[in-house]
Amino acid sequence: MTTAPTHEAPVAPEPTDSQAPFARRVGVAISRVARHAGVPIVIALVVGAIVLLLTGNDPLEVYGRLATEAFGTPSRINATLAATTPILFTAIAAAFAYRAGVFTVGVEGSFVLGGLTASVIGSQMGDVPPVVSILLPLLGATVAGGLVAVVPAILRSLWQVDEVVTTLMFNFIVTGLAGWSVQSFFLAQGQANSSTDYVTENAELPALAPPGQTSWGLIIALVLLAGYAIWMRYSTLGFEFRAVGSAPRFSVAQGLRVRTVLATALVGAGVIGGIGGGSHALGLVHRYSEGFSANFGFTGIAIALLARFNPIGILIGAILFGALNAAGATVQLFINLPVQIIDVLQGTVMIFAVAVFALPKFRKLRAGRAERKRS
Amino acid sequence: MQARAPSCASSTGSPDTGSVVIDDQEVVLASPRAAIDRRIGLVQQELAVIPDLTLLENLVLGQEPGALGRIDWKAALVRAKELSASVGVDIDWKADAARTSIAIQQQVEILRLVYRGADVLILDEPTAVLAPAQADELLRLLSSLRDAGRTVIFISHKLDEVLSVADRITVLRSGRTITEIERGAIDRAGLAAYIVGDSEVAARPTTRGTAGEVVLVADGVSAKDDRGLSRLDGVGFEARAGEILGIAAVAGNGQEELAEVLIGIRGTTAGTLSLDGTSLARTGVRARRRLGLGYVSADRKHEGLALGLSLADNSIATPALSDLGRAGWLRPGTVAGHVKSVLGRAAVRFGSSSDPASSLSGGNQQRVVLGRETIGKPRVLIASQPTRGVDVKGIGYIHELLRQARDEGAAIVLFSEELDELRELSDRILVLHRGRVAGVLPGGSSRTEIGALMLGDTAEGHDR
Repeated sequence: MTTAPTHEAPVAPEPTDSQAPFARRVGVAISRVARHAGVPIVIALVVGAIVLLLTGNDPLEVYGRLATEAFGTPSRINATLAATTPILFTAIAAAFAYRAGVFTVGVEGSFVLGGLTASVIGSQMGDVPPVVSILLPLLGATVAGGLVAVVPAILRSLWQVDEVVTTLMFNFIVTGLAGWSVQSFFLAQGQANSSTDYVTENAELPALAPPGQTSWGLIIALVLLAGYAIWMRYSTLGFEFRAVGSAPRFSVAQGLRVRTVLATALVGAGVIGGIGGGSHALGLVHRYSEGFSANFGFTGIAIALLARFNPIGILIGAILFGALNAAGATVQLFINLPVQIIDVLQGTVMIFAVAVFALPKFRKLRAGRAERKRS
Repeated sequence: MQARAPSCASSTGSPDTGSVVIDDQEVVLASPRAAIDRRIGLVQQELAVIPDLTLLENLVLGQEPGALGRIDWKAALVRAKELSASVGVDIDWKADAARTSIAIQQQVEILRLVYRGADVLILDEPTAVLAPAQADELLRLLSSLRDAGRTVIFISHKLDEVLSVADRITVLRSGRTITEIERGAIDRAGLAAYIVGDSEVAARPTTRGTAGEVVLVADGVSAKDDRGLSRLDGVGFEARAGEILGIAAVAGNGQEELAEVLIGIRGTTAGTLSLDGTSLARTGVRARRRLGLGYVSADRKHEGLALGLSLADNSIATPALSDLGRAGWLRPGTVAGHVKSVLGRAAVRFGSSSDPASSLSGGNQQRVVLGRETIGKPRVLIASQPTRGVDVKGIGYIHELLRQARDEGAAIVLFSEELDELRELSDRILVLHRGRVAGVLPGGSSRTEIGALMLGDTAEGHDR
């Protein structure tokens, strides 16, 4: 009879004053992001600097080069935004579910299957009128992304089966299925590695500023981000998301729609992840191949946590990780820098991001201990 | 009233003032580990036995005999048999813990503390989970531990057990020591008087309700707690519009479960509930609230409120939420109006409605809950410990809100551990004992009358 969620929300989002003017809310959000994300980023930079010194590099030179490679010229900014787009999608997807206290790790699987579906449909759009030729593959990606999450959603909302395990397993299943179906049904002729055919030209999401790679996918992501913010604040179910995520037992006792929230959180995250995969296929790589997702689903989790689900924080976090990816790829042209250093930097940011969330708990613990010593 | 006592002495909680003295030495028990080092052992109601291990493995866990990482099971078995023989119990040490009865697991847990060298054993309501014959065996075991020179602190609300086994009795009420009595110096009735308190507080001027038609009917309701133990056994009553039905019971006699069963958080194993003649079978919390049930949870911090959410959010979090919007979207104006009337109805003192609920005092928090639960004119209001953790002034106001809801025609089912509160507010008082209805008394009954029923003095005799 009871459907109390098993997880508390991994981190509590801070309430914002809904009566404050929009500009001030943005300011508050940015300062919060600076506070929460700033510490882990600074620590990560220091750790990175030590690693760089140990490997015989000058940290200042490398960091300076990274900054110019990320934001130095319009074309580099374009590249950064192109790298931002997929992880912006996955971060929104993760934040959507985590707001309800649903700790899905299945966005990766939805992203992959969405990308494959959009690529397959997109390669058959030769005779289809424009716009429809983009919408159809995207629709397929949406459905595919949501489907990946249906079984975990049923298991979670009806029988309280832990979603972390089920969604993680579905990632393996989906990635395996995708690879097998490409090999068996959709293999492009005359390609060295296993991939699908390129999508037809009318199915490509147009670039925002050719020849830069940033596509209309970024606009779709930004619209989704705004939708996420408005929906959480002003919709009935969005309200119930926040209640279930922040006080699960309260939500049960108040007769809120806990099962609906849990199922919607999982399927919704899958849908957003699917659209992300579809946009990535249609906007950037134009086909599905092995290694389609560079762990975008997991980077999205880190960003959502760093931002504490705050929409503006998500945008800033996604740009930050996008910048690291974009700059990391080209900085080696100038400096003899192993690309793994970038992974080290990203990893440290994530680790310390999670550590910073534990800080308030730690402080409480320490205060309690000090009190006991006094008495 | 006794629930927190063992945690201080064994240090899962810590005292604000006062001291624990062992062997004439004042000690600070900073952790359960420190308590074990001081040779104090606690047996909680929830047994700490690992079901996947055998009883022998459970016994020696954490202090296995042997050396260099090798466990000397032969020595362990010899030691275990000595232990059980010394207190006169027969235990099959090779059995899996999961396959043995609760009584045996409890004995093993007690022997484990002895095995680890505990001189002081604290048992928190140990017989609550036992059948009468098992309880007798446990009491014999405790007696032989005492005869072997150990100190046993036996926490119980079962008078006959206490009188039969204890050498000295300390009575606690509302966190205070009421008296200390030597064995044989008191009889059952005298002890009962100390426990309920015989000081009759002059009844404050209060209004009573005028009972209308029957609204809520419970018939033969049984339910289990989270551990699967039967807590309610065939409870039946009627609650009428415009009256307050008080429910009195010693903690652990089924009040918590009854409140949860009525609102729908906990399922029943038997019996029926109906509201205005409609069966509530197969309805969850949401449907019941829509039919007109309101609920004030005893656990304000986790069930009554979402402390991390704003006052506004807390004020609208009910199934009636959808009435505040259109097509799945909340209308900010309507929401703000509703929040204002909820907070205004209960005269909540607050800064901004976007402040988190955690920023309010306990009394103010409870006002938010009562405002929210009564704004929709519920048919039935289930109020569980509504004044717990609220200061005196706040209590008066919460009583006023309850009376107001009653006069507006709600049937109020009031659960409280404060007898004076029940006597002051209730039109009728139903007393639960061991999950059964021990009796129904008029609202103005004396503490002694209510207390006698709470402690099991029914027509059928004593509780054992």
